Amino acid sequence: MIDRLKKFINDLFSGSEKDDISIGIYGPPNAGKSTLANHISMDLSGEEMSNISEVPHETRAVEKKEKVTIKADDGRTLDLNLLDMPGISTNVDFKDFTEHGIEEDEAKGRAKEATKGIVEAIKYLDDVDACLVIFDSTEDPYTQVNVTIIGNLEAKDIPILVLANKTDLEDSDPSRVRDAFPQHPVLEISAKEGENIDKLYQEIVERLG
Amino acid sequence: MAGKDGVTIEFLAKDKLTGDTFDEKLDSVLEKVKDNYVLVLEEGWTPDEKRSLIQASMEEIDDDFPGVEFLGLDSSNTRFDRAKELFYNRVLDREYREGLTIVGNSRVMEKVKEERDTVSFLAKLENADN
Repeated sequence: MIDRLKKFINDLFSGSEKDDISIGIYGPPNAGKSTLANHISMDLSGEEMSNISEVPHETRAVEKKEKVTIKADDGRTLDLNLLDMPGISTNVDFKDFTEHGIEEDEAKGRAKEATKGIVEAIKYLDDVDACLVIFDSTEDPYTQVNVTIIGNLEAKDIPILVLANKTDLEDSDPSRVRDAFPQHPVLEISAKEGENIDKLYQEIVERLG
Repeated sequence: MAGKDGVTIEFLAKDKLTGDTFDEKLDSVLEKVKDNYVLVLEEGWTPDEKRSLIQASMEEIDDDFPGVEFLGLDSSNTRFDRAKELFYNRVLDREYREGLTIVGNSRVMEKVKEERDTVSFLAKLENADN
């Protein structure tokens, strides 16, 4: 797994002539995209970049953190643009928001914003340089939406690192993520607890020297 | 359509699907899905086509139409399958569409199980929730 992870990092940074690289964080709603984005952003800039909520589609527009600088132990640096994407799904029912106690008018507004955000995230599949695709490891990730995200990135040869998130939860089973997408390296993380996030940074910095 | 009598599930054979462009097919699928049909298409869709389905669905969503649920049985990704796909594309100049695609209104279709070789869904009577 480490070798495949290193290959991903090599693919990610080799041959790029851009000063900075746009990394999109993709995945279904409530997989932990914004939690991860905030963790990285807090680590590297001291500021959070996204709101987090139990209500699905809390991120309804692409959140950007530009020129987040990763610094290596020996002083080397790399500028990244981090993009926290709205969770992609095939349906957005305003009634799902009302079940979370949101008034109907606001729920309809949220649903409309969520659909626009999903379209924006889909369009960004053409513009990102690399992707972290994050899944909730307590759930089965083999869905047509996830297959579609991964398939589009593969078709464009965009480097992908699959993250099996929420390993801090008792019913986490990262093997389901590996089984669903065996063609990609999978890193087990807990974005909430910060588990293995340092490992991701470490691998990135090592390949940039 | 769905109502107290049930949900219409329409099966479309690949011969019926080959004449239309993908955009025409997508328009037709969404029109029927908005009318609460569940469609079973005897063909697999490419990732780019699935992406178009998601995007078009999002653009159609309103208070009455919450979007789609879709399932797929795609061809596997073995060397033999990839070779077959190349043969279709390069030699026969035809699209390789092995597989099955199922699309329905998310208010009447609920995924139960989705694996590479098995899918199942629940067709819901719309007024059963009310």
